[in-house]
Amino acid sequence: MNLRVPVKVVVVGFGMVGSRLVDELLRREPEAFDITVLGSEPYEPYNRVLLSDVVAGRTDVAAITMPLPDGARVSVLRGVTATSIDRESRVVTADDGSTHPYDHVVLATGAAARIPPIPGLRTADGGLPAGVHALRTLDDAREIVAATVNSPRAVVVGGGVLGLEAAVGLAGRGLSVTLVHNVQSLMERQLDPEAAAVVRSGLEGQGVTVLPNCLSSEVLVAGGRAVGIRVKDNADRVSTGDGGSGQRDEVVAARLIIFSVGTIPETGLAAAAGLSTDRGIVVGYDLASPDDPRVHAIGDCAQPPNGSRGLVAEGWDQARRLAETLVSLVEPVNAPVEPVGTPAETVHLRLPHDGAQPSMAVRLGALLTGGASRAQSDRGIDTRGTDVVKVKAGPLSVTTMGVCGPSRPNGLTQRAVRLADPRAGRYIEVVVSDGILVGATCVGDPRVAADLTAAYTRRTPVPMDPAFLLLTPVMQTAAPASSPEHMPDDAVVCRCNGVTKGHIAESCGSGAHTVEEVVRETRATTGCGSCKDAVCGLVDWLKESKEAVPEPA
Amino acid sequence: MLASPGTAVDSHCPYCALQCGMSLTRPRTDATAAPEVQPRDFPTNRGGLCQKGWTSAAVLGVSDRLVTPLVRGESGELEPVSWDAALDLVASRLAGLAAEHGPESVAVFGGGGLTNEKAYALGKFARTVLRTPNIDYNGRFCMASAAAGMNRAFGVDRGLPFPLADLGGAQAVLLLGSNLAETMPPAVQHLAGARAAGGLVVVDPRRSATVRLTGDPSTGQPAEGVHLAPVPGTDLAVLLGLLHVVLAEGLADREYLEQRTTGFDDVARSVAGWWPERVESVSGVPADELRRVARLLAAAAPVHGGAGAYVLTGRGVEQSTQGTATVTASINLALALGLPGRVGSGYGAITGQGNGQGGREHGQKADQLPGYRKIDDPAAREHVAAVWGVDPETLPGPGLPAVQLLRSLGTPTGPRAMLVHGSNLVVSAPNANRVIDRLKSLDLLVVCDFVPSETALLADVVLPVTQWAEEEGTMTSLEGRVIRRRAVVAPPGEARSELWILAELARRLGAPEDLAFPTDPAVVFDELARASAGGPADYSGLSHARLDADEASGGPGLFWPVPALPSEVSDTQVTGVTPASDTGEHPGTPRLFADRFATPDGRARMVAVDHVGPSDEVRPGAPFYLVTGRVLQHYQSGAQTHRVAELERLVAEPYVELHPVLGFRIGVPDGARVRLTSSRGQVEATARWTDAVRPDTVFMPFHWSGIGSVNQVTTDATDPISGMPEFKVCAVDVTPVPAALPVEPVETHLDRPDQRGERDAARRKKELST
Repeated sequence: MNLRVPVKVVVVGFGMVGSRLVDELLRREPEAFDITVLGSEPYEPYNRVLLSDVVAGRTDVAAITMPLPDGARVSVLRGVTATSIDRESRVVTADDGSTHPYDHVVLATGAAARIPPIPGLRTADGGLPAGVHALRTLDDAREIVAATVNSPRAVVVGGGVLGLEAAVGLAGRGLSVTLVHNVQSLMERQLDPEAAAVVRSGLEGQGVTVLPNCLSSEVLVAGGRAVGIRVKDNADRVSTGDGGSGQRDEVVAARLIIFSVGTIPETGLAAAAGLSTDRGIVVGYDLASPDDPRVHAIGDCAQPPNGSRGLVAEGWDQARRLAETLVSLVEPVNAPVEPVGTPAETVHLRLPHDGAQPSMAVRLGALLTGGASRAQSDRGIDTRGTDVVKVKAGPLSVTTMGVCGPSRPNGLTQRAVRLADPRAGRYIEVVVSDGILVGATCVGDPRVAADLTAAYTRRTPVPMDPAFLLLTPVMQTAAPASSPEHMPDDAVVCRCNGVTKGHIAESCGSGAHTVEEVVRETRATTGCGSCKDAVCGLVDWLKESKEAVPEPA
Repeated sequence: MLASPGTAVDSHCPYCALQCGMSLTRPRTDATAAPEVQPRDFPTNRGGLCQKGWTSAAVLGVSDRLVTPLVRGESGELEPVSWDAALDLVASRLAGLAAEHGPESVAVFGGGGLTNEKAYALGKFARTVLRTPNIDYNGRFCMASAAAGMNRAFGVDRGLPFPLADLGGAQAVLLLGSNLAETMPPAVQHLAGARAAGGLVVVDPRRSATVRLTGDPSTGQPAEGVHLAPVPGTDLAVLLGLLHVVLAEGLADREYLEQRTTGFDDVARSVAGWWPERVESVSGVPADELRRVARLLAAAAPVHGGAGAYVLTGRGVEQSTQGTATVTASINLALALGLPGRVGSGYGAITGQGNGQGGREHGQKADQLPGYRKIDDPAAREHVAAVWGVDPETLPGPGLPAVQLLRSLGTPTGPRAMLVHGSNLVVSAPNANRVIDRLKSLDLLVVCDFVPSETALLADVVLPVTQWAEEEGTMTSLEGRVIRRRAVVAPPGEARSELWILAELARRLGAPEDLAFPTDPAVVFDELARASAGGPADYSGLSHARLDADEASGGPGLFWPVPALPSEVSDTQVTGVTPASDTGEHPGTPRLFADRFATPDGRARMVAVDHVGPSDEVRPGAPFYLVTGRVLQHYQSGAQTHRVAELERLVAEPYVELHPVLGFRIGVPDGARVRLTSSRGQVEATARWTDAVRPDTVFMPFHWSGIGSVNQVTTDATDPISGMPEFKVCAVDVTPVPAALPVEPVETHLDRPDQRGERDAARRKKELST
């Protein structure tokens, strides 16, 4: 019998992180919270990570629908946008006029696609002209897919992870794709220039034309529809000698233009409520606003002290940690139950239990944070493993994690080893510190990428020579014997019965002449029978060699 | 009873659930000499036998065979006594404990190697004579997760709901956590079709003998399949990823899902978050390999015009704290592809122990009554109580599952006595040190065995029993086929069947006359058949005589359910199977689910599950995974196979497989002694370098006792639904075993104490530096 008064939690935003938080709370304490979710999109929750797969035609749109929260104390309002937070009386008001009192409010409002302020990009009503899209919502993905039908040519502006995924996906649909990127290196947040060059070759191999060091300066519109984009050299870059040779100023014709040049955290609601915002909503390590311990922010809208990379694993990890914190507030205690109205400062400053073995439920889904690491810098909060980036670009395999790209290894404590094989489209760098993999870049070798990810997220000890991490290490094996002559006597021919070449030779030597006789004597072939051919061959060879070399009298 | 000398008798191998057909010929010399073994053509082994089977007769005459009851005497040693003395002692101690502490103070532990008749009698004895709820068996260690998953999804649990030979026609077989090339080698024959089609997919962290069947790149031959090598404990993520791809790429059998399942929408949503790249991050299986395998399976599915596909699970994925969830995910994948209930396709669990299937049907499970009935189902209690001639009210309720039962032994509220039948817990139970500690804390431990197993050696009373070729009975193979085990030789010394022992104990414990414990296996079977009537595993149409007649006439074999009269059968079981009209007998059910599943609405239940990960995850101090498994030459705890010279010669000692990269890292050369340490214990064995294991994982087979007994290290964390322990993955540290001090001849090295101190210090220093 639960006599606790449920804690009222209002979650603003029903994207991947908001819905995850609800899930994490319910898994732990299905009865302890009254949860209201306000989601501005009218759809059921969907997996935003897979929108680029939708564009690429790699997934059925229906297959990206995520589970709905399952709980008697959860109410999800879809198509309802929160418009204000009254922190004084602890009420969220929504655009449908409804009001939602809270004990804790969690902002998971996400981020909007950034659209650069260039001519032609805004129509009179402030929207985008037909044919121009971001790739942030299900609507975006659907519209892009629809547009591919009548657009033989497409331009993707922005060579980050999403831009690469979109470019390769559209190329895979048979479109002629140009990728415009503002600096020389693609994915410059994750890749160093050498790795980026290998990725660029890979992209070009997929039929994508890459224009580095270029800015889109104008979208050309005809009849309300985009027909092309004007591309210029990025003057900063050219003047610093970082790339482009000439004065580029050209128009790329395309009826489909996708902007993937970053996101802008949705901070409006928080700012209007008088909460600190910077790039995102400022929160502490405990994911609570420094201005109000009852307001939390997670996911793309949040700006925790250790920064945000916009990866879903990071948002899910925040959801897990915040759920732990909220649950800890309602945990039954032997002492008088902590009333909901207790001044919460002391509680909120508590960090997740250091070193405690997480419960099964806690670990559920906290897959990328399997390790027990904690960096000194983030005051005991384990975020390792949430920064693994895997580009979903079909045959082009790009994976980065930890120390990579511009965050160069610290030469004093970290050891970097690399394998550069650009002709084969392969580039691998591993960074090792204290016997543990702390970072890696892997282009063009999915097998190694998978192994590196496992080693990185689990902190398994690396080989004495980190160079072994660059390949799938195999033992030297003897080449398969080309003839029975070269088989060692102890080579097992029949596994099921442990029969070696020596046993068979012995059997032949001691009078067995036919395969049947050898089988009867040694039991070779009498298990699964897979070795039948080998045994027959061996007996034949033994017979021949016996005839060829007459036994000494 | 015994066949005449020189006559071949058809029986089956004593070891695994494949129950290979063999014929046994009693030598003309004397009745107890070992019979000659010859393989025979039988659908599971098709004339094949592995080395264990060929040499199985050697176990009958091992030199340390138990031939007389033993009781621990004043000296502390086990001493021979008469049967009367031993049974009187056991009965009086059991009666005394029950009188003082209640009936639940006596526990019973059964085994999946016992015949159906013995398993049935044991359950009946516990519930009616001892009246204890505390009976479970070692099948909890092997089949419980598969059973829970299948019961939940299909409403019935028959490991393979189709004949094994059906696999032969499949275009693809997905094998998860099964190393059948090592554990039941003749079964490999049934994979030939899938291999020829390039469709054998094996999911195993190791490149096992079975994985090698998928092809060896170094041979230059075309691949016969695919190996997925997930990080230990992440098979469930792989399955969720495979289903994700099937749905994302529109490969599911929509019509089948619509007509034959419920719960699909929840399951579909639950895998939306398991896209291949995320699965790769969790499992270490590259995303494109997942896609490739999902497509390969789908192409083989009937809905896409394929020749058929099977999803099969083994202990590797089931012996896990998420074992039931993993089985459920396997079933979900199979259902999404429209496989179960279609001829030539399906889902199955590969049962391990000889009678691992029958052993879970007749009432030696904590929550179960004969016929695979639930002990908490009033109708089931009433039916079984009527067969037994007791008041349903007197039947106890569900008891503790194995691991919890073992943990409770000798505790203030736990059992004080235990009877062990056909199980060598000291070696085969997880977290063995705790098990040994608990067994030692008992007031009375009685072990029935035919050799002095490690567990028998701990007992207060050891009772010698018959084995295999010395007894009559039935077994139920991995495909649900009920088969006959036949006596060929006389038991040695005073060894007696458990049926006799239970009857004698029942009598001594004052069981009423009408509470019968017959000792003729055929009679026991008839009662078992009546008790099973109407249950999910219905044997009521079977008898020893019918089984014998079917075999003699070269019949196709009899698969349960085989109800006595078709009309009596619950229609969820066997709809669509027509009785053989000429005989009026039910023909048995080779294939289940043709038209409906054994659920109330006839539809298979799809249940959403999620990946959690292992209970004992790698961490600083225990940074490597340990996986355990088997070798071809040994069976389970090795109580039988270590006593066969031909097998012992080939694999004489325990070993640890580790990758050379790990060997270099920790300073353990190939062939050196290596130590594995977990938070539960440590174990030492010889290191074998191989690249067949991942560098983050070591492998050790579990067939040994003592310092090489890996179950001292494994965890006894259990699956919340099935109670199955997580044998297959735990976190360990891997270190060299410090070299022992050279043994120094006393006459030349009479060290002064100060010198010895120096040397010890030097050794400690050396240990620290390694």
